[in-house]
Amino acid sequence: MDPVLQEIYTLVVPAIPYVAGAYAILWVALVVYIGMTYSRVGHLEKEIAALEESLERRGVGM
Amino acid sequence: MNRHIVVLSLLVLGGVMTTTAFIMAFFFTPPVLGPAVTNEAGRILGYQPLFSQKIFYFHVPVALASFLVFFFTAYYGVRFLMTKEKQYDTRARIATEVTLLFVILTMATGILWTRFEWGRWWVWEPRLTTYFIMTLLVIAYFVLRNSIEDEERRATYAAVFGIIAFIDAPISFAITRIIPSSVHPVVLRSGGGLTGSQLAAFLIGLFGMLMIGYALYQTRVREELAHDRLEAVKAALEG
Repeated sequence: MDPVLQEIYTLVVPAIPYVAGAYAILWVALVVYIGMTYSRVGHLEKEIAALEESLERRGVGM
Repeated sequence: MNRHIVVLSLLVLGGVMTTTAFIMAFFFTPPVLGPAVTNEAGRILGYQPLFSQKIFYFHVPVALASFLVFFFTAYYGVRFLMTKEKQYDTRARIATEVTLLFVILTMATGILWTRFEWGRWWVWEPRLTTYFIMTLLVIAYFVLRNSIEDEERRATYAAVFGIIAFIDAPISFAITRIIPSSVHPVVLRSGGGLTGSQLAAFLIGLFGMLMIGYALYQTRVREELAHDRLEAVKAALEG
């Protein structure tokens, strides 16, 4: 890291919890939302595949 | 190429770009300088670096993304009113859902900055007030939807409401320029304000966030389509 920036950063410690908090909130929320959406999509597609297989066995067309 | 792979690639690329912007913001971009630091004789020794300004590199991209995604609520609302096709109502609802996520994140990151810089959690200044109104309108969109049983009436009312609600987005974006006395910083303005490395970090973060927004929207559309398909398969099995 730039030594001047490193020196400056020692003067700004009080702001760190706010900056880190903001960044953490952003990423935790995005990751949780993305994770939940992909998980739901995965479950739905598995369920569809199982039901379609069952339809095929019965010989029902869609 | 498979559409799902494109969406997933955009999501990963968006994540990489926003993380790159984060690293650039902390380790390579010069800090924005605040009030002068003087000695007893009143001589300026330097300027106080504003570390809290680093929030800007992810607060502003997510705020701009919220405006852009909200535009699609209005756009698909217009498309629905023109065609009465259900898919446009679904797309408008999903766009509003992603807008809600981005609005909450904008408010959360902005409030932390306000608390540190202004010493208060909330200030009733024009930008914050108009953005707060937008937040309430986005929430009200879902309240309206949940209060109407009839599917077509719900979609029509939601489309009209979404179009009217979107009017607040450009007002909120431009309010710091319309009312120059606003204490909220104006970041995007002619004549600069950002150095080259600051602008680069900001733009990388912005495009990364837009990619994440698009990928989230498309993934939710995929989920809705899968849900419709599931209902169709269930109906075929029962019939």
